[in-house]
Amino acid sequence: MKIKKTEQKVTRRDFLRGSSSLGVASIAATAGLMANTDDAHAKATWAEWFQGNYRLMTDEEKKEAAQRLENRYSEEFGKQVTVDTTEATDGVLFGYALNIQKCIGCRRCVKACVRENNQSRHNSEIEWIRVIRMEKGSFDAGKMDQGYPEDYGVQVGGNSYRPVGVVLEGQHYYEPDKVPEKDAFYFPIQCMQCEKPPCVKVCPVRTTYREPDGIVVIDYNWCIGCRMCIGACPYWARRFNWGEPNLPKEEMNPDTHYLGNRPRMKGVVEKCTFCIQRTRKGRYTACIEVCPVGARKFGNLLDPESEVRKVLDRKRVFRLKAELNTYPKFFYFVD
Amino acid sequence: MKSFAYLLTDVIKYGFKGDIKYKAWLGFLGIFLIFWVYGNYQQLSQGMIVTGLTDQVSWGLYLANFIFLVGFAAAAVTVVFPAYVYKHEAMHKVAVLGEMMAIAAVIMCMLFVLNHMGRVDRLWHMIPYIGIYNWPHSMLTWDVLVLVGYLLLNAICGFYYLHQKYTGKPINKSWYIPLVFLAIVWAFSIHTVTAFLINTMPARPMWFHGMMPIKFISTAFAAGPCVIIIVFMLIRKHMKFEIEDSALNLLSLTITVCLGIALFLTMSEMVTEFYHPTEHTFGLRYLVFGYQGLGKLVLFFWISITILVVCFGMLLSPTIRHDMNKLPYICAAVFIGIWLEKGMGLLLPGFSPSPIGEMTEYYPSFIEIANSLGNWALGFIILSVLVKGAVGVLVGDINYEKHQAGQRG
Amino acid sequence: MKHRLPKSILTAVYLCLWASTGYAGNEDETVCFESRKGSSEVIQREIRPGWPNVKCSPRTAGVLWWGDPFDGTIPMGDMPIEAEYSHAEAVVKPREKQIDKNKLLTICTTACHDGKYVPVPTSQQARPLKMHQDIVPDSMDLQHGRGAIWCLNCHSAEKRDKLIDHFGNEISFNQPQILCGKCHGQVYRDWREGIHGKRIGMWETGAKKRWWTCTECHNPHDVQQGTRNSGFAQLRPEAAPAVPKGMKNMDHEKHVEHGDPAWWRGVLKALFGGDEHGTAGH
Repeated sequence: MKIKKTEQKVTRRDFLRGSSSLGVASIAATAGLMANTDDAHAKATWAEWFQGNYRLMTDEEKKEAAQRLENRYSEEFGKQVTVDTTEATDGVLFGYALNIQKCIGCRRCVKACVRENNQSRHNSEIEWIRVIRMEKGSFDAGKMDQGYPEDYGVQVGGNSYRPVGVVLEGQHYYEPDKVPEKDAFYFPIQCMQCEKPPCVKVCPVRTTYREPDGIVVIDYNWCIGCRMCIGACPYWARRFNWGEPNLPKEEMNPDTHYLGNRPRMKGVVEKCTFCIQRTRKGRYTACIEVCPVGARKFGNLLDPESEVRKVLDRKRVFRLKAELNTYPKFFYFVD
Repeated sequence: MKSFAYLLTDVIKYGFKGDIKYKAWLGFLGIFLIFWVYGNYQQLSQGMIVTGLTDQVSWGLYLANFIFLVGFAAAAVTVVFPAYVYKHEAMHKVAVLGEMMAIAAVIMCMLFVLNHMGRVDRLWHMIPYIGIYNWPHSMLTWDVLVLVGYLLLNAICGFYYLHQKYTGKPINKSWYIPLVFLAIVWAFSIHTVTAFLINTMPARPMWFHGMMPIKFISTAFAAGPCVIIIVFMLIRKHMKFEIEDSALNLLSLTITVCLGIALFLTMSEMVTEFYHPTEHTFGLRYLVFGYQGLGKLVLFFWISITILVVCFGMLLSPTIRHDMNKLPYICAAVFIGIWLEKGMGLLLPGFSPSPIGEMTEYYPSFIEIANSLGNWALGFIILSVLVKGAVGVLVGDINYEKHQAGQRG
Repeated sequence: MKHRLPKSILTAVYLCLWASTGYAGNEDETVCFESRKGSSEVIQREIRPGWPNVKCSPRTAGVLWWGDPFDGTIPMGDMPIEAEYSHAEAVVKPREKQIDKNKLLTICTTACHDGKYVPVPTSQQARPLKMHQDIVPDSMDLQHGRGAIWCLNCHSAEKRDKLIDHFGNEISFNQPQILCGKCHGQVYRDWREGIHGKRIGMWETGAKKRWWTCTECHNPHDVQQGTRNSGFAQLRPEAAPAVPKGMKNMDHEKHVEHGDPAWWRGVLKALFGGDEHGTAGH
């Protein structure tokens, strides 16, 4: 009987030990496969791997995390990189207004954003802003007798269907010699920093959340890459790092924020953060600054004297896909 | 505890034993595992850039298979429900086999989810208290909850039943029956929650309607029993286990009714969306007719609808339905048809066009296909082993006494 | 007509040649334009290690990013109308330096338009000026106002390095808004509020910003832009996004025929190619 008892105990303990070590080994192996083999990278990556969610960190832990990242980035990019952890300022709610009367579709906002925010340049090329070319109304008498729907329409005549003002039928890959073209106008779209963001709601680990100053941010070290948020965003504002980002050293912007433009890693989601590294220090975003026609306005929605509030006051403003009740803080207006 | 460990080892050993045809089957599945190892290594080391996924179509083959297989997992209830609620004798004998298949299916689902994740090494972030578990806001957390729960329920119920058969002890109905009923209800919930995962996103108008959960359940109960019927027929042919015709007939009836409901829902979706197409119809238009000149899915859609309608017509006739020669082929066809419609045909048009109107197409890469086929192969290996082992316990080929006799001898 | 060119002219020419060679810069330098091509160039340089003053677009030679938004700026100076913005910290990039990059403006005034060599025009009749087509192409056809204004409405007849308003007050090239705003009042008001035009720098109300003045964006000699009637010259756009993986090209979005074609055409097209209107292989 005694022999049997010890046999039993060994079996159970062995089983538990075996399975837990198998579990730990597989996670470690997976992490090992996913980590880079570079030395400095590997050391910092292990400490990073265990850190918690940024939003729940104490100030101490935030500074530690930022310091770790500064060391890693400085070594990786060969220059002194700073990772800022500035918090939101009280009494500030960022808002954005874009004048579609003025936009000429030059895409400098897209490229300026890339210069500022350290996106992957190729394989894959990530751009947070997407400009859509929309056709103006040019109604064609030649189609009048074709009816709608064509060929056998019940309603023949009196129609010349054109997608005037239809955002969902615009072109994304236009490349004329000069803009603006005579028969088109342009509609840039980026993260709307919604007040009721669908992406925040679906995130299973709360890695994406809205900061007190209104910016919807992502803790890149917490993201598990499930891409629920990309599915849920009605504005297609979020991008995914399918592979390790390719960011040349010379092009890297060394002034970064933990929640903003610091270089990301493979398998995490990223998006426009209203240049949090600039705006929390008081500066305009990169897209605002570059727009050659002054179509973009930015400021504190809680300040009645700010440019963006003046736009809301005097111009006719609308929100994209307003029927979805996402309450974007990115407004479109016309002169 | 000892007997349970022996049960597991015996089931697995028995599951791998078999005649030459069975070994060939396992060997055939094993070939896919080679590519599976390679594919997973590539994906884990290089990231998901090795797949054909893009920012525009960010969910692809992996989640298509996941959605389909959750349905298959839920379909175990088509065996368990009649067995315990209606006390269907023939089904009662084979209920545990349904649970074994559910276990294999849920494992397949989890494999596909792991393949879909960008950072598998960070999944510990989802564990409550150590990480953050955004329940009840995030549908994905509900899905994880119900899938893990379903796996546990099936494992506990299934292996407990086998264990009692293995050791010749009676089943303790006081907690077993309530657990089985819980599993029955839970089966409906796993597929409903998976439907909620995709139908609660206003950004994806093709999915954003209340019909999605019932469509999921009906297609699940049309596709799942197909495999169950084929497995039962194979067991009847190759093993000493008697499965009565009435069990198979009930399953084929379930398929017929659920396929009918599924086709009705498809038809009503078509009419609603195409009577006055809006911008929200673009995804469905891409699937059915092609859109903006792109239409790689159109052929698959029409093939799937043809298969399903023809098979439904055939299944309506009791003569054909009870004809055990024709039934496996019809079942295979229905399974493929529903996979085309519910897997690729549901997931991909949700992303083409993108929410801001960009029209792209998705082409799975070799590694994606290798990983997917490997997951299926692994799942079917587990299914074969567990089902074979369970049948071994049910017919008495393996039991506790024999094991102990074998040890002493 | 044996006029011997005055020494001042010769000096001007030599200075010109000298200045132009000096200004062309080396080939290693990256030069890009801030707003108007040809009249707002900056040279890229490092402000501090790894931090350039501007980042230029290799495709369009436009500035994409400012490292220091206040680089090369001076305070805007007093504005004639007292309003909230008067207490804002506004800086501008002086246009005089940009216009006068060949040092011609200062020379012109002293060398030629001194009232002696070239007589001061007395007639206020709008007329095309045959000279200065090098500075103002189409000076025979001023594209501003459709004959309602002409050169000497804005430019001082005596001091060519200053602008002038209808009262005769001199206005610096650094503050064109004081002149432009006299006719374009609505726009001027919006500009003061920050709704029209461009500002870079700090977003807070009243904080330091570089305000972009009228002529930094608009070419006052060609605001109509021909039949475009736009006020703003066309630009070369930056590159389109990369074609998504798996797609050969995105040409299909160009050929979209809107409206619903007969449904069976769509099926045929998807199966056999061609467009939705029956023409195959389009």
